[in-house]
Amino acid sequence: MILNSVEVMFGGQAGDGSLTTGDLIAGVFKRMGLEVYTYKDFPSRIRGGHTNYVIRASENHDYGMADAVDALVAFDLEAVETHIAEMRPGGFVVFDNTDEAIPDNVRRDDVTWYEIPLAKIAKEMGLELIRNTISLGVLGALVGMDPEIVRHDVRGVYQRKGEKVVDLNMRAIEAGENYVREHFADRPSGYGLTKGIDGDRLIMMGNDAIAYGALVAGCRFMAGYPITPATDILEWMSKQLPAFGGVVVQAEDELAAITMTLGAAFAGVRAMTATSGPGQALMTEAIGLAGVLEIPVVVVECARAGPSTGMPTKTEQSNLNHLIYSGHGEIPRVILAPGTVGESFELTTTAFNLAEKYQLPVFLLTEQALCQSKATLPPFDVDAVQIDRGKLIDSGEVVFGEYKRFAFTDDNVSPRVIPGIPGGMHLAPGSEHNDGGVITENAANRARMMEKRMGKLVSMRDDLPRAVLHGVADADIGIVGYGANTGPIAEAVDRLARAGVLTRFLQLRTLWPFPEDEIKTFFGGAQHVFVVENNYTGQLERLIRAVVGPVDALQSVRKYNGQPFRPIEIIEPIRRIAAVGTPVEVI
Amino acid sequence: MTATLTPKDFATATPSWWCPGCGDFGVLSALKQAMAELGKQPKDVAFISGIGCSGKISGYLHSYAFHGVHGRALPVATAVKLANRDLTVIAAGGDGDGYAIGAGHFVHAVRRNTDMTYIVMDNQTYGLTKGQSSPTSATGYVASVSPDGNPDTPLNGLALALAAGASFIARGFSAQPKQMVAMIKAAVEHRGFAIVEVMSPCVTYNKINTYAWFKDNVEDLTVRDGYAPNDRLAAFEALTRDGDIPLGIIYKEDRPTFEDRTGLPEMPIARLDIRRPTADYAAIQAAYR
Repeated sequence: MILNSVEVMFGGQAGDGSLTTGDLIAGVFKRMGLEVYTYKDFPSRIRGGHTNYVIRASENHDYGMADAVDALVAFDLEAVETHIAEMRPGGFVVFDNTDEAIPDNVRRDDVTWYEIPLAKIAKEMGLELIRNTISLGVLGALVGMDPEIVRHDVRGVYQRKGEKVVDLNMRAIEAGENYVREHFADRPSGYGLTKGIDGDRLIMMGNDAIAYGALVAGCRFMAGYPITPATDILEWMSKQLPAFGGVVVQAEDELAAITMTLGAAFAGVRAMTATSGPGQALMTEAIGLAGVLEIPVVVVECARAGPSTGMPTKTEQSNLNHLIYSGHGEIPRVILAPGTVGESFELTTTAFNLAEKYQLPVFLLTEQALCQSKATLPPFDVDAVQIDRGKLIDSGEVVFGEYKRFAFTDDNVSPRVIPGIPGGMHLAPGSEHNDGGVITENAANRARMMEKRMGKLVSMRDDLPRAVLHGVADADIGIVGYGANTGPIAEAVDRLARAGVLTRFLQLRTLWPFPEDEIKTFFGGAQHVFVVENNYTGQLERLIRAVVGPVDALQSVRKYNGQPFRPIEIIEPIRRIAAVGTPVEVI
Repeated sequence: MTATLTPKDFATATPSWWCPGCGDFGVLSALKQAMAELGKQPKDVAFISGIGCSGKISGYLHSYAFHGVHGRALPVATAVKLANRDLTVIAAGGDGDGYAIGAGHFVHAVRRNTDMTYIVMDNQTYGLTKGQSSPTSATGYVASVSPDGNPDTPLNGLALALAAGASFIARGFSAQPKQMVAMIKAAVEHRGFAIVEVMSPCVTYNKINTYAWFKDNVEDLTVRDGYAPNDRLAAFEALTRDGDIPLGIIYKEDRPTFEDRTGLPEMPIARLDIRRPTADYAAIQAAYR
């Protein structure tokens, strides 16, 4: 029996309501006092196509999926066929057998089967969609959800649709619970969650944390073009920004989205756009303009599987090279990568400060497996958020002729006026220019301007978010990773330690300028270093190799099938190399 | 009180890179004159241009000037206006910048109807790349990339703007400065997106659409009997019929701007205090409990 830990997978066809029910389950687990992580795996279509929603709940804060699925709620045979191999021995399947039966070659003997005509029961109750709520009752009875919390949360979701709808849903929960009681009294699931205290916590999606972080950081302008998986941010800002005096523009394309962001920032407003790979590609030229005009912009990249359209709803870490190298010519840029929902908020606020303090584009790089995942976390302390606008001159006046927008300074950052300030009139040209903004191709000026702009990467060094070291500081075995892999790697570190394998994990949070010193220090004393990343070519590994030179210690752990890592996929290769310790239990 | 402004107040020290005789000189002069007559202070003018010969104009108007990437003057200008609605925002560029690489932004800026002015300096050729066909070059126009003549139909930018829902459409000719000044002033004072297309001859590459050619081929609508710029169908007829090129204010309509429709506060966003008390965020955070 597994205590107070469960991974539920809700699987069916897109558009059948499983995402709403998944959110409900996550909320119920949270209110039962458990730590929750969710992962949405859905197709790039609105109706039809296999979709599933994974909800992991436990007393530990595990930031990612478990090794295996405990409870699969399958609305169709496809869901079973697709995921039966991921089931933990001892887990269970709830299957809607209204129209389909489980063929013998799909059935596994080491899981418990609960075959229930969910759709038929729903139809008898008068509404086919109510199947979701019935299955919630079934699942609740099997894993031990608190029935009161289930009812409270379902009511909360359907209240605005009227008392009739709420009643129907209440009866549906009961129908599910009763079915389990009446038909499976002799078939225990082996699971039983214990209710704890919810405490003062939030449950939030990565994208919401980014948007919220931007708002608190003072972002008052956002332009964006809808693209999965970044659209949530545009939607969130559309709802919230007007009340804070700001504005959101749904642009005609990403070329407009980024150039609008530049325009608003040029005018003195903290501005942002959010996109994913294909949109990022279109923004490339204007990012160069932000670099040369020294305009502070924050660009959120919610990475998905590429290239081209790729797999829009699947996760990947294949855009790192693009963010570092894209664009003609050379500009300074910063790339930050949060590893949790909490860091998504925190690093977004940092991104705005870095952008304004050093007057350059800052990318916040996240991935589908983090930005569209929800997690429980402590409330944000908005008082702790610092706003540093750098050398912004947004009041008073400057002396025309003396003031130079692109003045050479010790830290390579020039005082920045905004339109409306008396005396500050100048040309901001994408062409090379002198300190006053006058276009020139003078060779000496060109060299000096390049050094000024690129030199900001050095000036900012102390302000960049440091990497986080997890695990045992002097362990022989090291792991390097970032972003959504932070959770699975950190969990692997903990579980390896319990099995007697000590490791340390360097979670990079600044990816550019590349943290060479932190990498070099981390490699000191390491016998083996595993670089974990979601791409084929080892984009992070190549950056590391360029710093540490030819080393035998480096091992690659890569995954590029659109799915995030499960911890066991990181544990196993490390355990094999370590050749010590006891076998690690699959969780 | 500030002294009366003159066009000289809008001059920059930067010498022009245009060829002698370029139509763009006329546009620049008219713009300076219009700004001075409107009493705009240089500090309150944001002037955003595209790329090409005409795009260089932002370097020659004393203001907060932005010379960005090819085709993207309009989204930049739109955002500058939304960020600080106290500014007078003017975008400018050529026919290639606005009607080719920037055509997508053009129709959407028109639809959005942000309160700004857009000046298209139409020379019917690509000048800075040394004389290729542009979106407004006549069919058959012989150029370096169309040695057998331009195979494409010229784009009617103003008719396109009208179709997209433009609220202010005017056309000038850079050899008729008085009319241009009046039009630019009307465009700036118009509440909404105002487009002013100026026929601005390229003396170096376009040997067809010369000053002399224009003089023979333009018609001043303002002197045409009974023409009123408030009739959409009449405007469409004037813009699309065969014959002389109509000049003057072709269409004008008062309709809600993007700022109106989004309820954008009068207080410029750029002047907001972005540090807000914690209590302002309480409701947002509570929704995630």
